[in-house]
Amino acid sequence: MTRNLIWILIGGAVIWAGLSADISTDKLSSAAPRLADFLARMFPPDWSVWPEILKGLLETLRIAILGTFFSVILSAGLAVLASEKLFPHLVWRPVRAFLAMIRAIPLIVVAMLMVGSVGLGPLPGILAITFHATGMLAKFYAEAIDNVASAPVAALESAGASRAQQLRWGIWPQMAPVILRDTIFRFELNLRESLVLGIVGAGGIGLYVQTYVRSFQYDKAAAVTLAIVILVLISELVAVIVQRRFS
Amino acid sequence: MTACLSLCGVSHEFEGVTALSDINLSVSQGECIALLGPSGAGKSTLLGLLDRRLKLGFGEAQVLNKSLSKDQRITRKDRSEVGFVFQEFALLDRLSVYQNVMNGRMGHTRRWPSLWGWFETQDHLIVARALADVGLSDFADRRADQLSGGQRQRVAIARCLAQEPRLILADEPVSNLDPSRAEKLLDLITSRAHEDGVTVIFSSHQPQLAQRFADRVIGLRDGKIMFDSPAAQLTQKDVTQLYDGFHPETDLRVVN
Repeated sequence: MTRNLIWILIGGAVIWAGLSADISTDKLSSAAPRLADFLARMFPPDWSVWPEILKGLLETLRIAILGTFFSVILSAGLAVLASEKLFPHLVWRPVRAFLAMIRAIPLIVVAMLMVGSVGLGPLPGILAITFHATGMLAKFYAEAIDNVASAPVAALESAGASRAQQLRWGIWPQMAPVILRDTIFRFELNLRESLVLGIVGAGGIGLYVQTYVRSFQYDKAAAVTLAIVILVLISELVAVIVQRRFS
Repeated sequence: MTACLSLCGVSHEFEGVTALSDINLSVSQGECIALLGPSGAGKSTLLGLLDRRLKLGFGEAQVLNKSLSKDQRITRKDRSEVGFVFQEFALLDRLSVYQNVMNGRMGHTRRWPSLWGWFETQDHLIVARALADVGLSDFADRRADQLSGGQRQRVAIARCLAQEPRLILADEPVSNLDPSRAEKLLDLITSRAHEDGVTVIFSSHQPQLAQRFADRVIGLRDGKIMFDSPAAQLTQKDVTQLYDGFHPETDLRVVN
């Protein structure tokens, strides 16, 4: 009964969305030639703007690196407070709720707020990424802490290991691969997300995409887009290599 | 002989369920004792209490001249004097076999250098010897999660031996091993009692092994001591009563 109701609700939602959205076949049929025209104007990409592209990419990379760095530091502290194992629920529940709230605010909104408060440039971008990424990373780190198996740590304690030794040889070896994986994953996300920061004036390559598209220089926009794709692919490759090494 | 441990009226409960009830026990240094009893008899609880991982509920207890009462401070040295072989091995999967065994030395190593992985020559020698004793020298660099169940159990035993404790507590230390390997390792553990004066207490479900390797056999059931007798005097009747009837695997004649 409940299952049928769920299917009816899902079906109803799709139909409602379809009816209310402005979908007409005329628009779709004329889309193809327009798209073709758009793509034709993008090719061949104009690589003469490579100094700007490089500058933008490096700035984006810097924002992602620093944003990740600061969010790792903040997350390490918050994760301890958000750990079910280390703190009573009166502490970890509010901390987790706070982290969920942070995650719920879209990056672009945070970026606009930061631009409003500290002005244009990469600084608001770094602050926005730090704030946004901490919501996710602290939750992941807290889960890594909570998933540490207690028996090997108890074995170390039983052998006479100090608290520091238990941390180093019992807890850290279990957490390290998880933390590394989560941090790399978050860095990749930060890199992708920081590409759009430039659109609201928070630094990075996004600014150039915006500028070239608005001024109808699609061949230059194409060059920037390709450069972004290459950067993301490289970062993914590096992530895979690092994770394979440390799994 | 000097006393290694004594328990007087010790009881323990887990959320209202009695795990141990009025246990009185005295063990001399260098004795080798087997704990027999069905699952849930209280063997692991008793061993956990002696290892100080469980807090003493009722009664009085002393281990190696130190009280187990709650307000007694436990030092690293106290802990390093009691070695424990865990039933589930409690190994660190991502660390090498060598480092897992080295973890048994933590109570002896200098604290801060050990955090950077700097251990003294003596520690390395002891770890190498422990690995050789359990036949795992060739596996030293292997990650613990790449070993079979039996090999992992041997690592857990090597870690305890490397600790060089005065009291070895072993929770079913040979349950995952084939009969010949089980005998070899029990022989290795109990020889520490006979040669180095280490006290050994191991739990087991195999009365034949208990009778063969221990000096004294204690039968636990429902948290109470059913019998406490020299191994040579253990009878089939004791065992049959302990395990609620005769079972082929608890047949003492298998060894006799």
